[in-house]
Amino acid sequence: MSSRVNPQIRDELTAFGFKDGDKCYSCSTCTVTCPLATPENPFPRKIVRYLQLGLQDKLRQSPEPWLCYYCGDCSTQCPRGADPGETMMAARRYLTALYDWTGFAKKFYMSEKFELMAVGYVALLVGLIMLMFNTGQPDWQHADVNSLWPARYVELADLAMAAVLSFLLLSNVWRAYRAVLGELRGKIPMRLYLGQLKELLVNFLTQKKFAGCSDRMPWIIHLLIMTGYTTVFILVVVLLNGLTFDNLRFQRGWPEYPLLHPIRLLGYYATVAILLGTSYALWGRWKRTKPAYQHSHPTDWMFLILLQLTTLTGIFIHFGRLLDWPLFTYALYVIHMMVAVPMLLLEVPFAKWAHLAYRPLILYLLKVKEVYQAQNTAS
Amino acid sequence: MDKPSAHEYDALVVGSGIAGLEAALNLADQDFKVAIVERDASIGGKMIRLSKVFPTLDCASCITTPKMAAAAHHPNITIYTYCELRSLERQDNRLVARLRQKPRYVSVEKCIGCRQCEYQCPVMVPDAEQGGFAARKAIYIPFSNAIPQKALIDADHCILCGRCAKVCPTKAVNYLEMPEDLVLQSDAAIIATGYEVTPLANKPQYGNGSLANVITAMQMERLLAPHGPYNRLLRPSDGKQPDAVAYIQCAASRDQTVGIPYCSRVCCMYTIKQAMLISGALPLADVTVYYIDIRAFGKGYEQFFQNAQAMGIQFIKAKPAIAGNAVDGSVVLRYEAQEEDGRIVTAQHDLVVLSLGLVPGWSPQGVCSLACGADGFIKTPQPKIAPSLTELPGVFVAGAAAGPKDIVDSIAEAGGAAMEAANYLATRRRGGSALVAAA
Repeated sequence: MSSRVNPQIRDELTAFGFKDGDKCYSCSTCTVTCPLATPENPFPRKIVRYLQLGLQDKLRQSPEPWLCYYCGDCSTQCPRGADPGETMMAARRYLTALYDWTGFAKKFYMSEKFELMAVGYVALLVGLIMLMFNTGQPDWQHADVNSLWPARYVELADLAMAAVLSFLLLSNVWRAYRAVLGELRGKIPMRLYLGQLKELLVNFLTQKKFAGCSDRMPWIIHLLIMTGYTTVFILVVVLLNGLTFDNLRFQRGWPEYPLLHPIRLLGYYATVAILLGTSYALWGRWKRTKPAYQHSHPTDWMFLILLQLTTLTGIFIHFGRLLDWPLFTYALYVIHMMVAVPMLLLEVPFAKWAHLAYRPLILYLLKVKEVYQAQNTAS
Repeated sequence: MDKPSAHEYDALVVGSGIAGLEAALNLADQDFKVAIVERDASIGGKMIRLSKVFPTLDCASCITTPKMAAAAHHPNITIYTYCELRSLERQDNRLVARLRQKPRYVSVEKCIGCRQCEYQCPVMVPDAEQGGFAARKAIYIPFSNAIPQKALIDADHCILCGRCAKVCPTKAVNYLEMPEDLVLQSDAAIIATGYEVTPLANKPQYGNGSLANVITAMQMERLLAPHGPYNRLLRPSDGKQPDAVAYIQCAASRDQTVGIPYCSRVCCMYTIKQAMLISGALPLADVTVYYIDIRAFGKGYEQFFQNAQAMGIQFIKAKPAIAGNAVDGSVVLRYEAQEEDGRIVTAQHDLVVLSLGLVPGWSPQGVCSLACGADGFIKTPQPKIAPSLTELPGVFVAGAAAGPKDIVDSIAEAGGAAMEAANYLATRRRGGSALVAAA
């Protein structure tokens, strides 16, 4: 099979964080010491080689970048200082851009200025919308967000946003699926796809492959962030208006739920998990405590900072409500939305958040492929 | 302590490996008075410890021993073994070397090398000269063709039982011997301090030296040597005759993680040599060499490599990692089949040899003002046109002290260094102290 070389790929890759990959002399120490590389899906050397040669199509079809969780063993042991772990990270960023049909992800990764402006514009827009569209009758007696922005309308906005996000993310997921399975796509019967759906769910919820890394701490931190984030996502999108059940409502008027109410406990868990996780990651990136934290792309910072700011403003809104300070609560609510919405709208389909879909998807597809091939050789 | 005794020479050679011996003999044959300073108890350096040499497959000790004997018996050469060079500096236009003669606890003058003490000694110690695979006694002659053939006591392991002193026919044993300081004066010096093998620490993918049946190439030299520990090729853990032997090239060369980014030059060729010797010793054994690049650059080397391939030695382009020991003691490797489809392959070998690289055998730090390069080898300011010159006038360098080098190049460079030293000495004799000042 012929391969096309994209000689320009190298100039672009630098912006995606590809730095020392050229130093690689293909000894494959990285691949054979990687605890996650498998006989059928060896990495990182293969991916480093693709990038060195500019084999963009080969890279697009490669599932390997999504199988690496960046423990950094390869970078520590690389005899050339070629930092294969970071090259894999750059490959994931590049794949996110390749999967994205809008071209937005590429711009987001390649220009810090564009990234900042995009986040800023969306934030401003959200702020303006919230100032323009509200009931105009704030409750100055009690801190009740519903008096200005009733939960049922926010819920509608939520759902609209979720629809847009899902469309963008799922269309990119479709492209990832086409790229990775290639010609096998049409041959695999539907029942195999359905039969292995459990794999998708298990990998999404447990990230068990991550636990195969020699250093398990990042897996725990990642689980904290993921479960915290998922919990809060369910709270603010699914349960914002409580699915019409009054005592499931997340955005609730004054007074607050009793301390041990499940919704409150879930909120606390999510808050603590995300704060712990993001603080650990931010501190690690700042102090460069691990190989994986040696090089931080602007999008890595943006993602962690937005997530932490969303959580912090959320905590303060909660305090505002408990202390029953109306103005403080309303002002923070606007700021909270101005941080949270850009994070979701920009990060989920176009940037680092997208891996929450790609990682389990790729593992699922590989499992489907494996079962299909096993059946084929058996029959 | 008595005033250190002074000895005067034309040239001082530090190190008595093949480069040091060659340089010393070249100078001594021109009637220069030469002193050889050696830190080991025997002269001969690394070469006398090897089995055979590439690409001729000559027996290493058969061609080194005559050089050692020639130096030992040369009227113009004085050999100081078991001496530590404590300082080397220029004073009043002469080089002054301060040595410390380490105590052998056996009088060199009285000892006749009969080994009666060795037979009587009850203490067994792993013998580093046999790769740690055999035992020696706490009083011992370093190895069978050591020069001088004189015993010494390993004070760390001696239990002072007194048997050796009792049995010695010449009453040579003296447990109370003290270190002795010597001062040597010379006009020129040649540094021929050679190399050591890279350590295995910080290489978790090779087990950090803790896995059974993973040995170094220097240990394999002993297993293959005619007077080796087992007298035949067996693997150390259980004495099994290995059916499959593997080599891992660049195990600690061209590797920044151990601070050795350079190529050690000799590993490809000694591996090919050892692989051939194994094929000769065990004709049915499979020998596999895992390599990144084969560097067969010298005269006859490429042909040597091709001969090895023709003999059926398998060369696989990969740098494996060791996954551990299997139940039967064999070593499990993982490698990426780059020449095929790039999948990860797991392979088992009875014995795995790590082709370790070369690091400097000696550092001038704290001894003299010689400069070293970033790699730690002696700096040669004119590496192309005058490779034996150092930054100090009158001090020359030969062999692996200046950088990894094989025997052929070491001997050639030792000849060059001796010639540079001879020119330097001759100029001085013609009243050319001006040269020293100018340099």
